[in-house]
Amino acid sequence: MEFKFTQENLNRIEQETKKYPVRKPAVMAALYIAQEQNGYISYEVMKEVATVLGITEEEVLGVVTFYTMYHQKPMGKYHIQVCTNVSCMLRGGYEIWNQIKEKLGLDHMAVSADQKFSLEEVECMGSCGTAPMIAINEDYYENLSKEKVEEILNGLSATLSKEEGV
Amino acid sequence: MEKILLPDIKNLHLIDVYVSNGGYNAAKKAFTQTPDDIIDQVKKSGLRGRGGAAFLCGLKWSFMPKTTDKPKYLCINGDESEPGSFKDRQIFEFNPHQMIEGAIITCYAIGAKTAYVYIRGEYHKWIKLLQKAIDDAYANGFVGEKMKETFGTNFFCDIFIHKGAGAYICGEESSLMNSLEGKRGYPRVKPPFPAQNGLWGCPTTINNVETIANVPKIIEKGWEWFSNIGHPKHPGTLLFGVSGHVNKPGVYELPTGTLLTDIIYKYAGGVPNNKKVLCVIPGGTSMPPIRGDKLEGVRMDAESLKEVGSAIGTGGVIVMDEDTDLVKVLARIAHFYHHESCGQCTPCREGTGWLEKILKRIIAGKGSVSDLDLLITVANQIEGNTICALGEAAAWPVKFMVERFRDYFEQRVSKEISLPVANKVHSMRQTAVPLADVKN
Amino acid sequence: MPKIFIDGKEIEFKQGQTIIEAAKDAGIDIPHFCWHPSLSVSGNCRICLVEVEKMPKLVIACSTIAAEGMVVYTQSQKTLAARNAVMEFLLINHPLDCPICDEAGECKLQDYAYEHSIGESRFVEEKVKKEKRVPLGPRVMFDGERCISCSRCIRFCDEIAKDPELTFVQRGDRVTITTYPGEVMDNPYSMNVVDICPVGALTNTDFRFKARVWEMSATKSICNGCARGCNIDIWVRNNEILRLTPRHNESVNSYWMCDHGRLNTFKFVNDSSRIDSPHIRKEGQLVKVGWDEAFAEASSRLKSFSKDEIAVIGSAFATCEDNYLVARFAKSVLGTGHLDFIHHNDPSFEDDILRRSDRTPNSLGAKLVGVRPSKNGLDFNSIIKAISERRIKALYLVEDDTIQNDPEIENILAKLDLLVVHSTNYNKTTDIADIVFPASTYAEKNGTFVNFDGMIQRIKPAVSTLEADRALEGMAMSRLDKFGTRWDRWAQGVKFDARPTWRIISGLSSVMGYKFKYNMAEEVFKDIASGITSFNHLDYDIIGEQGFKIKASVLEKEILE
Repeated sequence: MEFKFTQENLNRIEQETKKYPVRKPAVMAALYIAQEQNGYISYEVMKEVATVLGITEEEVLGVVTFYTMYHQKPMGKYHIQVCTNVSCMLRGGYEIWNQIKEKLGLDHMAVSADQKFSLEEVECMGSCGTAPMIAINEDYYENLSKEKVEEILNGLSATLSKEEGV
Repeated sequence: MEKILLPDIKNLHLIDVYVSNGGYNAAKKAFTQTPDDIIDQVKKSGLRGRGGAAFLCGLKWSFMPKTTDKPKYLCINGDESEPGSFKDRQIFEFNPHQMIEGAIITCYAIGAKTAYVYIRGEYHKWIKLLQKAIDDAYANGFVGEKMKETFGTNFFCDIFIHKGAGAYICGEESSLMNSLEGKRGYPRVKPPFPAQNGLWGCPTTINNVETIANVPKIIEKGWEWFSNIGHPKHPGTLLFGVSGHVNKPGVYELPTGTLLTDIIYKYAGGVPNNKKVLCVIPGGTSMPPIRGDKLEGVRMDAESLKEVGSAIGTGGVIVMDEDTDLVKVLARIAHFYHHESCGQCTPCREGTGWLEKILKRIIAGKGSVSDLDLLITVANQIEGNTICALGEAAAWPVKFMVERFRDYFEQRVSKEISLPVANKVHSMRQTAVPLADVKN
Repeated sequence: MPKIFIDGKEIEFKQGQTIIEAAKDAGIDIPHFCWHPSLSVSGNCRICLVEVEKMPKLVIACSTIAAEGMVVYTQSQKTLAARNAVMEFLLINHPLDCPICDEAGECKLQDYAYEHSIGESRFVEEKVKKEKRVPLGPRVMFDGERCISCSRCIRFCDEIAKDPELTFVQRGDRVTITTYPGEVMDNPYSMNVVDICPVGALTNTDFRFKARVWEMSATKSICNGCARGCNIDIWVRNNEILRLTPRHNESVNSYWMCDHGRLNTFKFVNDSSRIDSPHIRKEGQLVKVGWDEAFAEASSRLKSFSKDEIAVIGSAFATCEDNYLVARFAKSVLGTGHLDFIHHNDPSFEDDILRRSDRTPNSLGAKLVGVRPSKNGLDFNSIIKAISERRIKALYLVEDDTIQNDPEIENILAKLDLLVVHSTNYNKTTDIADIVFPASTYAEKNGTFVNFDGMIQRIKPAVSTLEADRALEGMAMSRLDKFGTRWDRWAQGVKFDARPTWRIISGLSSVMGYKFKYNMAEEVFKDIASGITSFNHLDYDIIGEQGFKIKASVLEKEILE
């Protein structure tokens, strides 16, 4: 599927390029913007990013596959990231990982059939002092317990069913 | 104790509050002095880098060429990805203007017109918080061209945030620069060093967020004041991030040289259920761990930790109680470095995976005593042979954990174990066993 | 000159050289995978780690600049330990498929495993799985598991081919190399990545699984694909050419050659269209005859024309030696000044890397040794015109398919009373020739080419013809050539009854009463060297393996004459 940036997003990318003496560094921001617009980063997206910034598509591909936050497939509406690194692990990170895995019936980098949820086991997110933690999309949820996780997930489901009801 | 970085002032993150508490006065003062004066004061203050290597900050600045046709750059490292580290986000959230003020003073000192703050992509919230602070600073004429008017100087500089996208290695300074240039975050071969050949081939200085945030106070209160705080060879305060098995995990700003036991028991509230401490990693997962029975008298600064065979790193203190499964912890750490190895150079690309696989095998009950030696050997074969310090970061926890908890690890493995051996094919040359005697 | 010490040996170096470069110039080989003299330094393989006095850690020789008085140890305990470590790491995930790997025998990983490795693996885990048999392009196949991520191929595409078609993707031990999905690596130089790949990760789709390296002989030669004259090795097994690879010559082609030269300039040598023994047209059909009969027929028929009715066409595909005798044959034996050769120019072929629009290897050489019209002689176009006007009735044509080059010429040549042709393969021109002499290809003879730049370069026989014996002629021998028996699968290659043009001319001249006293191409060259200024004082030894460049001033003067 062909991909074109919206004019607004093109403007945002142009704004990003102004930070740097050359256009290339804006590739990282452009990819975020593309992911926001398209949901994930397809090969068409990479091509368009390359064109917009005047760099090669191979360069864009190399960048996309290097960084974990660029997704090459559509993730769920709620992308749940669970930290299991040491500080979280010591405070129950794996229990939460297993809890969410079971509850959603998903494994690492899997997406639910209805595209509502996806799950990722992530490396340290910098919340060691408020461990264990998860992040849902861009938001951190810290100082978690099994009960809190249950509450959060139920909350998400409730929001979803409310939206569908409307 | 006076706090330098995170003082107890309400709403200090707001520009008005910051200014009404004397904010941006240090910058004003700095612009009445020469850049060399600033570098000199920072040198004399003894300020050392807070990003892990504890390199002398003023010395690093002095490496920047005085005469060059090229633009110079300042990079502020807020990648903060070392497991156990969560201090820079406190500065972004609670005292961003002090870092911004530090950035403009540093730019002035090293002659940079542009500063980039590289922040890990996961910190969406803190990127927004810092961006708001930067926008406010621009609006109030503390950053950008309007600085000239505000401070009555010919100098001005810009500050931009560059958002990372999920790669621990980008906290390594040369990798950070490649990432900032929009490339794969591959560390660069050194020399040349950033001061000669940094961003886009131009002279560049890279400092940690916390390091930069110290600068305004040094200028404001003088280098002597700063050098008298904490350990004389590593002065100032540190933002200790305490995590793991403590009652009150969090960030504590304390003078360098504070007793590790004080951090754990006095500030972080001790270990839950009064359990014994089995192991402490004092500076983020890549630093050599210390045994729980060797904590007495250990002081938290670069020099003191070196003496006990560890390092200050990012000051991220991870506490593990007596019930912790150290093999699992080590396997998790090994997994992290395996996951984060950029894959550029051989020892790290191949060695990190090997370490993880051995540890996973031990957890699966298929490890033997010889595997413990193998772990140390593999770690030693990575250490010192790589392009960047991720090699050491991956090797040290394995090597020192196994060495220092040898008794513990030996209990977890069998004396000997017979494994299907996949790769004994060319071992005959070394052992020179007659063919007829070769089994398997 | 400043000096460094390598393993106690004092070595001079040029300012700015790295340790590995200084060592190389002094004949010391420091192990390396990712470093390549013509590519940027990447420093990723770490096998060149060496101990340097006063340095806290080992340093990589490929990126460390040599400094006066530096003391380097390439064999110290620390250095060897690091080298062994790197080798062990490289091998843990490397497949053990050397028995079917094309690279085996010329694999750096294999060589270093033998030379520098401890000879034992302690790795008992499962290896990392990656994609195998991935066509990166039409001419190059990739095996991800064999790849050691040295980035040479990526740097080659970026820096030499100027077409950044490859990139690393993923991280850590999952890193692999790819083109952009849906696109292929098809730059005109793509196959060089096969040569510079230090392992068997990149293979030549034309050569894959055709031979073990040690079954072939390698003969130093020159590509005949264009006037660049890229230095090459011709790889032969069972008297059949299986591949060409570029040979280093910094002043001609560096380490590279184009894919066209590599693939399309040798297959005619062993093709079924080769002409085997001389042929004479009898009752409309070309009939195989012996050399004596062919010489006698050519001699008597040529003699039936007046000097002005005969024209001779030399060849920019033939050697200087061939063309020298063609010129002398025309002038002294036939007595004609209607002498020229055909130019093959294709501007679309030219680029600013290696390829030249002149698609022949020796047009400058042909010209220098005298293949050009004499004062009142006709040039090629005039000859064709004269043939169509029946002023020229006999044409002696050497090693060029005139009709393939210009189909309209077929009707004109049909007007000839006699067409004598030297040719390696049957073609449209031999189809209408009266007498056909089978010519040896460039891969079957000694001789010299002069490239567009005035570089005189030697070619040597790699494939033997009926008249040649590999051992007696001093040709390169493979194991099979040396030890093969007639029961071996690979010891019975076809040999064609063909001769170099200079020898054919010599034989024919002899029958026509003019003796050239040459037994070897080298003797022809001796005469060229004494008679033609550009070649003065030269011999095959002086030209050697890297060629001899004619001074521009000399060359200019001689061409203008």
